[in-house]
Amino acid sequence: MSGKASSSQSSVGLSGPGGLSHVYIQYPPLQCEISGSRGLFYDDGNKLLLSPTLDQVFSWKTMPFSPLVAPTSDTISEGPILSIRYSLDAKLIAIQRSNREIQFWHRETGETFSQSCRSESESILGFFWTDCPLCDIVFVKTSGLDLFAYNSESKSLHLVETRKLNVCWYAYTHESRLVLLASGMQCKTFNGFQLSSAGIIRLPRFEMAMAKPEANSKPVLAAEDIYIITVYGRIYCLQVDRVAMLLHSYRFYRDAVVQQGSLPIYSSRIAVSVVDNVLLVHQVDAKVIILYDIFADSRAPISAPLPLLLRGLRRFNSSASRSGREDIESSEANVVSGNETITYGDEWIFLVPDLICDVASKCLWKIHLDLEASSAIAASSSEMPSVLEFLQRRKLEANKAKQLCLAIVRTIILEHRPVPMVARAMDILVTNYSHSIKTGSYLKGIKSEKTSPSTVPHVSSPSAVAEVTASRVGALEKSVQHEFAAGVDSELFNRSSTLLSSDSEDNAISEPQKTNSSDIHFFYGKVDGENLMGAETSSTDVQPTSLQHQLLGPSNNALNANAPEQQEAQLTSPAISPDQMYSFIFAPIEEEMVGDPSYLVAIIIEFLHSANSEKVKVHPNLYVLTIQLLARYERYAELGLYVINKIVEPSKEVALQLLESGRQNIQTRKLGLDMLRQLSLHHDYVLFLVQDGYYLEALRYARKYKVNTVRPSLFLEAAFASNDSQHLAAVLRFFSDFIPGFQSTSDHNTYYRILNEMNSSIAA
Amino acid sequence: MGLSSASTATEAIKLCIFDLRRGQQEGQELDKILFFFPADLPFSTQLSVIGLSEGLITFTRIFSPEAACELIEAERHSHVFYEAEPDIWMVMIVEKNESEAIWRIAALQKVLKEVHSLFLMFHGSIRALLEKEPAGGLIRAHLHPFMMDYLRVTKFSACQKWSPLDNCCWDFLFGKKLLLPSFRDCLKECGTVQMLNVSREAAIEVQSLVRLLESCAGSSPCYSLILFQDLLVSTTLSPVDTINLFTYAVLRLTPRTISSGVSSWSYLRKGSTGSSVTAGYTLAHSASVPDQYYCLPDTSPSGDNNYHVVRPLKRDRWSKAKDGFLVTDIWSAEAGSSTSATPTIWLQQTEERMYLCAYQFRSLTLILVVPVASILNGEQLVSLVKQQVLENASLKMLKVEEKLSKGWGGENAYHVSGYRYLLVDVDRNVSRASPPGKVTTLTKDQVLRTVIVKGPKVGRLFPLQFSIPKVVSLACTTTANVNEVWHKKF
Repeated sequence: MSGKASSSQSSVGLSGPGGLSHVYIQYPPLQCEISGSRGLFYDDGNKLLLSPTLDQVFSWKTMPFSPLVAPTSDTISEGPILSIRYSLDAKLIAIQRSNREIQFWHRETGETFSQSCRSESESILGFFWTDCPLCDIVFVKTSGLDLFAYNSESKSLHLVETRKLNVCWYAYTHESRLVLLASGMQCKTFNGFQLSSAGIIRLPRFEMAMAKPEANSKPVLAAEDIYIITVYGRIYCLQVDRVAMLLHSYRFYRDAVVQQGSLPIYSSRIAVSVVDNVLLVHQVDAKVIILYDIFADSRAPISAPLPLLLRGLRRFNSSASRSGREDIESSEANVVSGNETITYGDEWIFLVPDLICDVASKCLWKIHLDLEASSAIAASSSEMPSVLEFLQRRKLEANKAKQLCLAIVRTIILEHRPVPMVARAMDILVTNYSHSIKTGSYLKGIKSEKTSPSTVPHVSSPSAVAEVTASRVGALEKSVQHEFAAGVDSELFNRSSTLLSSDSEDNAISEPQKTNSSDIHFFYGKVDGENLMGAETSSTDVQPTSLQHQLLGPSNNALNANAPEQQEAQLTSPAISPDQMYSFIFAPIEEEMVGDPSYLVAIIIEFLHSANSEKVKVHPNLYVLTIQLLARYERYAELGLYVINKIVEPSKEVALQLLESGRQNIQTRKLGLDMLRQLSLHHDYVLFLVQDGYYLEALRYARKYKVNTVRPSLFLEAAFASNDSQHLAAVLRFFSDFIPGFQSTSDHNTYYRILNEMNSSIAA
Repeated sequence: MGLSSASTATEAIKLCIFDLRRGQQEGQELDKILFFFPADLPFSTQLSVIGLSEGLITFTRIFSPEAACELIEAERHSHVFYEAEPDIWMVMIVEKNESEAIWRIAALQKVLKEVHSLFLMFHGSIRALLEKEPAGGLIRAHLHPFMMDYLRVTKFSACQKWSPLDNCCWDFLFGKKLLLPSFRDCLKECGTVQMLNVSREAAIEVQSLVRLLESCAGSSPCYSLILFQDLLVSTTLSPVDTINLFTYAVLRLTPRTISSGVSSWSYLRKGSTGSSVTAGYTLAHSASVPDQYYCLPDTSPSGDNNYHVVRPLKRDRWSKAKDGFLVTDIWSAEAGSSTSATPTIWLQQTEERMYLCAYQFRSLTLILVVPVASILNGEQLVSLVKQQVLENASLKMLKVEEKLSKGWGGENAYHVSGYRYLLVDVDRNVSRASPPGKVTTLTKDQVLRTVIVKGPKVGRLFPLQFSIPKVVSLACTTTANVNEVWHKKF
């Protein structure tokens, strides 16, 4: 599907048809139109899009994202539905019926039971399932948290723990396992808990900053203005300050909450998505997206604001083109007709991390990052090395990122960019590779790539973090090993996170994507709930990243539902090994480059420099290439230095190349010979000695090191060629003495006769 | 090389350069002489020396037209011949000393070769100068100061090395004797470079710097030479040019030689030893005689004759400017007025004329050789290159210096206790010797009974027949192809 062909550019004037865009949504969306639907809910614990009807609930898997996925349905009883969530093992369905009661369904048996508030004064704001070892489900009430464990024997919940707090509203995402409880007059005082498989962590209470429009007014922070996001395994909370037009970010540590600076916003309405650890801030009014890579300290956007692109939609297509899905008649209304109404319409609900639900047309879009475009755009505005860094951090489309990196490096070398700049690029690539080797993600990626070629189609769609996880896992074997694998990965994240600061709490901070409480409260039937809406429905569920696996700990069988999908895999790391550096960068470039090789040699040196400091082994062919380059332009002095100082590491390939290049330069040839000897390649050493006419030395050497694989005739020929009968006699004698049965061979006879002739001629 | 020295009579050593193509007419014999030391010898004596040499050369050419005479061993003298350029001969006459002297002829020849190579580097070939001015005034005006400077150079450096226990060193200063250093002074092979051992990491760092330096010159092909202390770290020049430039740098450009002569004297007094520097031979040269004789005042070349003669070997003329570059006024004469013209040299390999820029950072000396562009403004190019170097390479140089200093074991790093050695890799023209400070600790008896162990022939590959202590085998870059002088201490 050619993205460019689509007519779909939103009305945003910034770009003409086919204009620039770094983020796109791919047509067709997942259609979730069910007749009699009473609303759409998103269960972020299981990544399900739920649409209950009167007595049924339909669920679509959104992970991996596929527009063709068919819904499954469960029967439920009638009644109001404020929110609905499947348990993490998918055995139970919990439905909030009112602000006092939550009803549970056992999916297999159809048994039900209910849990309700005890006291009149409190009401349930929402609930979520958790993989915390203490409890299975948490109710968030105005009076605090109730933690319940589910007893499968008695089929009932029992209260494990209560945390008393005043709560105005709350935000929770499953990927972060973090629940933020807002309290106070302005709702800007927060208590946080992380309920992970490692246990419950209470975060210190903190306040969010809010600018005052005027002296006495006290704006109230709304649930919609808070986003919990997970980027690179770190948990952040983003808070919209409508007065100051800023997006404040806070980072969570186990024992601290640290404000991390603010991003400007240019729209009264914004939304936040995270795709592949890139933060997308949708400026809804302006209909543009600004990308941030919050890895380093820099808060500068990756690129200029650009509109969202709708890919794959032909202009005139109507329902016909959506052939597959009969259940959409209403289509023309939104999707097709008015492109303008589509993007950033009022009905759009942003499900963190990377989904958009169009409530009106009942379809679900997935947000994709166009690496190619964004790197190209970024390249125009910022330095090449930082673009490489950005690409190297991408996990979703690792293969694409990798190809882009290779292409970029090739280009900058071919363009003869300044050496220091290329050196930095090399450094980034090598560092990244060594990092990925240490954490193991590189090898796993390779393996899984091999084992699951079938998944390639999926790959093309950035299908969310889970897949990444999956692929890593896939390399190992089964779900049994999930934890282990996950552990490794999380380690990776942890490390990276230490970059920012004392990140005490790696386990805690695990979620890759964020959900926002306010996200999906869109019911047909107006639920009159107070704040309920926000809370429940919202938590967008994203597939757990590896981190989560770890968090899940031993009990994470609950996630098995996802496991099979996760097996699908692909390259998981854009890291480029030195071998690939050679075969995809240096080798092709060497062919293309003309003229003085010193630039390329300089680049190779820089590469070796990086590789050396990271202790990464370099392909011998690269050394061979270096020697060829230097020898071709007769820079033997440098060549000698390289070999002597072991910049060019000794190997057989290198030695042979030195011998080859040394045909023009005797010193170089000797270096090659010495290298052979030092590597104890006795056979080759002797062979080359003989070839060079030093047959006596060769014999001596052969005797000392017991080399008996070289044919005697070679020595004899060489001795004969020197036309010295004494030497020939010596060689003959040598073989007669040391090789049993030599005297009966034809070699002996031939040369014995020759020797006699020589002697007689001399005598004569 | 083991040059055994001795304090000898006044005329222990004579050195002359003459051209066979000149002065063939009766009465014009003096034309042949291009240089003679000592210059105050009567012409008749000079002519008789040259006449003998010429006769022998002519005679031996009958049998060996290609390589005529190498050596005459007379009863009391050795005559060492070196044909520097076709028909231009250098002859050194050394007096034999009954007790001490065992000269290695090859070593003496290498001294002659070294002088000539240096001359080539700075002035071009003797023949070319002769052709420029057939009368010979020009070449004589060049040769004399150059040779004298060379001899003085070596005197100076030899003095540095001299142990204060050897009181004869004071004789040099005031006498008129030319002395060859012995291996009591130092072990040294002319025409080789001494290399610094570097780790792979440092080597990569250095090469990265080399590449950076090269890029500083833009598109013009430029070369570089990097020294640490007196040791070579990296070169991109051809072997022959490397040796020349290295020799010159060690004589004149390294941090030790840049620091003023005064401090060098204090070196001497303290008895601490100098570099493993070259030791050609030692000249005791009283100020009274030769310069006047050749009408060459010490300071400026503008004496009686009108030749502008650059005297690159002149001592204490290089200094370090504020920006770290080394400057000299030696070449300013050439340009006539400007105070600091950029030094130029000839590369033997490519026969190109090149600018010489030297930069010093602590123990690190960088020498950049930039072609004298055919484009008009060479000087501007040089200053541009300098600026580029400062801008781009400063940081890297700092890093390299740090790395090298860390890996540098000090002056006596390559000392092997119990041994005095000289390792020569003939293929690569690399040598390494016991540090000079340690050499002098040899007792006289040991020196006298030294056997010079000759290594295998050049061009053959033999495994070494003797075992080398580990330190040495680390030190020497190639273990095969080594000529050895191997002194064992009791």
